[in-house]
Amino acid sequence: MSAAVIPVEQIKTITMSIYRYDPTVDKKPYMQDVIVEIPTDKDIMVLDALHLAKEQEPSLSYRRSCREGVCGSDGMNINGKNGLACVTPLSEVLKRDKITLRPMPGLPVVRDLIVDMKQFFDQLEKVKPYLITKSDAPDIERKQTPEDRDGLDGLYECILCGCCSTSCPSFWWNPDKFLGPAALLQSWRFINDSRDEATEERLDDLEDAFSLYRCHGIMNCVSVCPKGLNPTEAISNIRNKLLTRKKA
Amino acid sequence: MIEKDNRPVNLNLLTISLPIIGVSSILHRISGLAVFFSFPLVVWLFSISLKSEESFSALANLYQTSLILKAMTYLFLVGFSYHLLAGFKKLVSDAFGVGETLQSGRMLSWIVFGATFIVAMLFLFLIF
Repeated sequence: MSAAVIPVEQIKTITMSIYRYDPTVDKKPYMQDVIVEIPTDKDIMVLDALHLAKEQEPSLSYRRSCREGVCGSDGMNINGKNGLACVTPLSEVLKRDKITLRPMPGLPVVRDLIVDMKQFFDQLEKVKPYLITKSDAPDIERKQTPEDRDGLDGLYECILCGCCSTSCPSFWWNPDKFLGPAALLQSWRFINDSRDEATEERLDDLEDAFSLYRCHGIMNCVSVCPKGLNPTEAISNIRNKLLTRKKA
Repeated sequence: MIEKDNRPVNLNLLTISLPIIGVSSILHRISGLAVFFSFPLVVWLFSISLKSEESFSALANLYQTSLILKAMTYLFLVGFSYHLLAGFKKLVSDAFGVGETLQSGRMLSWIVFGATFIVAMLFLFLIF
């Protein structure tokens, strides 16, 4: 065990209350307390603590890959708030030496902390998250001014972890109709791209009661985004674009 | 045929934290619903008061003695005030893009709560 190499006085025990569900065995999900020994002379991330828990409970399942907030695999509900386990310091979320981990809300649970992201990616697909051009391709590249490029800041950084959309009540109730903050942020990323030539079609696709307008400014998306992005602002920008387009 | 999805979904609202902006938004909904459903009662009471001089004074008398009626009126007015103020907040946000950052959004929510508290105190003083 990894804890064995740490001097005893630098160790403390914490309780990790973890959502467990194995579809082959369990009829219902349940919470399991796993006691884990963690070092006290340094801070570790929630993901590191999960690895320690997995040493005791090898069947514990969760997604992870890059372990540094780039791949967006380990989004989960940490003490009631969505976040990436790999970039959330344990010291920030530990309450009375206890931490509660659940899968991201609103999506079907595949197993333990793993959710089926299909609904999330279906919605992303609807906003066509790629450049659409109609004009002939220039010889070298489609150019942008530095100012136009600046318009993509705060939008292109999204890693599609799903923390925002799965913390959004509007997305919980209408995951098939409301696009959700992540998809709408990407929508604005391409509407606002000076090289994109399908702005009107993109806006047409959003003009119904559900896709965009189900956002009620609850801002859970902004408060959980591990990359510090602001989908609420992006949604508001799309709304304003739709309104000014009508006037023209 | 589509197979029914029997997989569990983690959506126990008691375990999911709701930041202040979310609380403000949901209370806007709840107060709106409460005001909507209590509106017929308010209109009915209003119509009684307008029927005749006697019915007006009868209602006024009842008002002096019935604590329940006072409390109901108080709750209606506080709910209505909150709904109105939170509605203003939403309109201001939509029109001017104010309160779209986490910090300003939180501040606006607190302002609405604060203003509602002041109005609630005022009504408390006026009604009781």
